[in-house]
Amino acid sequence: MKLFDKYNRVNIGVTIIIMLVTGIVYYYTISHILTGQIDKDLVLEENEVFSYVNKNHRLPDVYESNHQQIVFAPLKQQKAQRRFLDTVYRDDDEKDMEAARALISSVTVSGQNYRIIVTQSKVETEDLIQIIFLITIGVIVALLAILIILNRVILKSIWKPFYKVLFQLKEFSLASHPTVSSTPSTIDEFTELNQAVINMADRVKSDYQNLKVFTENASHELMTPISIINSKLDTLVQTDEFTDKQSKLLNDIYGTVTRLTRLNKSMLLLAKIENGLIKDNTDVNVKLILEECIYQHEEMIHQLGINLKTTLGEKQLLANKSLIEILLNNLLSNAIRHNYQNGELSIELDAEKLTITNTGKGSFDFDKVLKRFYKSDGSEGIGLGLTLCKQICDNYGFTFRYIQEGKLHSFSVIF
Amino acid sequence: MKILIVEDEAGLRDSIESYFTGSDSICETAGDFTTALAKVSVYRYDCVILDLTLPQGTGLDIVKHLKENGHNDGVLIISAKNSLDDRLTGLDLGADDYLTKPFHLSELRSRVTAIVRRRTFNGSSILKFNEINIDLDAKTVKVNDAIVKFTRKEYSLLLYFIANKGKVVSKSAIAEHLWGDSIDIADNFDFIYSHIKNIRKKLVEAGANDYIQAAYGMGYKFTDA
Repeated sequence: MKLFDKYNRVNIGVTIIIMLVTGIVYYYTISHILTGQIDKDLVLEENEVFSYVNKNHRLPDVYESNHQQIVFAPLKQQKAQRRFLDTVYRDDDEKDMEAARALISSVTVSGQNYRIIVTQSKVETEDLIQIIFLITIGVIVALLAILIILNRVILKSIWKPFYKVLFQLKEFSLASHPTVSSTPSTIDEFTELNQAVINMADRVKSDYQNLKVFTENASHELMTPISIINSKLDTLVQTDEFTDKQSKLLNDIYGTVTRLTRLNKSMLLLAKIENGLIKDNTDVNVKLILEECIYQHEEMIHQLGINLKTTLGEKQLLANKSLIEILLNNLLSNAIRHNYQNGELSIELDAEKLTITNTGKGSFDFDKVLKRFYKSDGSEGIGLGLTLCKQICDNYGFTFRYIQEGKLHSFSVIF
Repeated sequence: MKILIVEDEAGLRDSIESYFTGSDSICETAGDFTTALAKVSVYRYDCVILDLTLPQGTGLDIVKHLKENGHNDGVLIISAKNSLDDRLTGLDLGADDYLTKPFHLSELRSRVTAIVRRRTFNGSSILKFNEINIDLDAKTVKVNDAIVKFTRKEYSLLLYFIANKGKVVSKSAIAEHLWGDSIDIADNFDFIYSHIKNIRKKLVEAGANDYIQAAYGMGYKFTDA
């Protein structure tokens, strides 16, 4: 629930309750005052009866007017207790029952006790109350409407800086370069929030930057000792005859050094891409590179007896050639390495996208595979291949997609 | 050929020197910028193997110095920096080639040989090795004047072996040379065997000697014996 929905809900709820309570109190107060007014009229009427009786020693004529009625009834011994009561009034003109107020009293005329019932219809009072009530309701509704509109308009404009900060936080990425920009606001809380977010973003960026620079430097520094080992090995194998056991050991060392080199190069490359250090963009003919990649892999394709189908259209890109080569080589190597004997491999390139589809055993979790150093079961790679592919695609704004349908695994790069 | 090795890491410098010294090469070395600059100012080399990060200066300034003084010594840059950044600067300044560390000495030698060959043959692009004649422009191989058909990889491998004549070339180096470093090399050792088998077969069938020998299961050696 949005803050101002929540706020509106509480606000409007409370307003309605207060209004209702006010309405009820209002109703009873007015009702009480008006009833008092009627009671006064009744007493006035009663007094008139008394003064008439005192003067004329007989009961006045019974008359009926203005929603008022006086009824006399003879009593036996005791006097009727004087009291006010709510009753109903039969209106002969309109033939309906109306709420009314009555005063019961008694009078003695020539030794005979009479009960006096003075009744006055409350219909006018009720009308008045009704009007007051309607006005109150009208005010409530108008007030609510104004509240809702005001909340919408004012809150929306007040919260604008907040939403802007929120949007920037959502869009925040360590890899992208523009940092969080300042969002001016006249509200202290938002200014503080904005400042905190900017500080945090800058701190995170600089920490991350240091980490990346460290990775790059570390990989870089490692290259020198690795090249010394490599050259010493190359020199060593020139020296003399070797036994089978020695040559096996040397082969293992060669293999390990090669692996170390590849690992280090991949890490260095990742760091470089992330640091945005790769520029050197030229016009790259993807089709030519792809054909070269296929040529590089021909032995492996041939050995597995893979049925290769290619549909290669023209595609030019403005990119770093080495990166595109790495991307295509990695995708193709994967499609071959995870293929099986006499499997299928299809490569489709057109102006919009490149799709490499291969048959393959098993399945894997694409998101996991994109993580660094994640290897699917039985994979012999170093676990950076697809991470690099993803990173290269991100670098150029391509979409990297994977779809699995049964035995078919399909990787797409949408340019 | 006369070669200057400019490299501040003594370990690497010594290995390169010992790999290049012998047969038909003379090597000189320099471990820092000043020594290197002094040497290239006085002597001429067929090829300068140049590290970019040196004590007291950068290798790029040596390339600049050579070009400014009109010396057309071949220059091969070796650097731990990736091909993705310094390469163009080096090549723009007039270096002939660029090799990223770490590299195999056989790869270095094959690149240096190519540079020297380009510079010294001056127009003539025929590489002659006993009965084998290779036309480097047309990329054709003739044995006793008869053309022998090689695939692109076989041709490249043959040149690689000739450049590293008399040296044991490891399988790792061959794989890296043929398939580059972005392809997993361990997968490819079987293919090396079949490529080499094909080269030997084609050469022998055309009447050439069998120059390629397997070297203790680690690699191969091209010998002039």
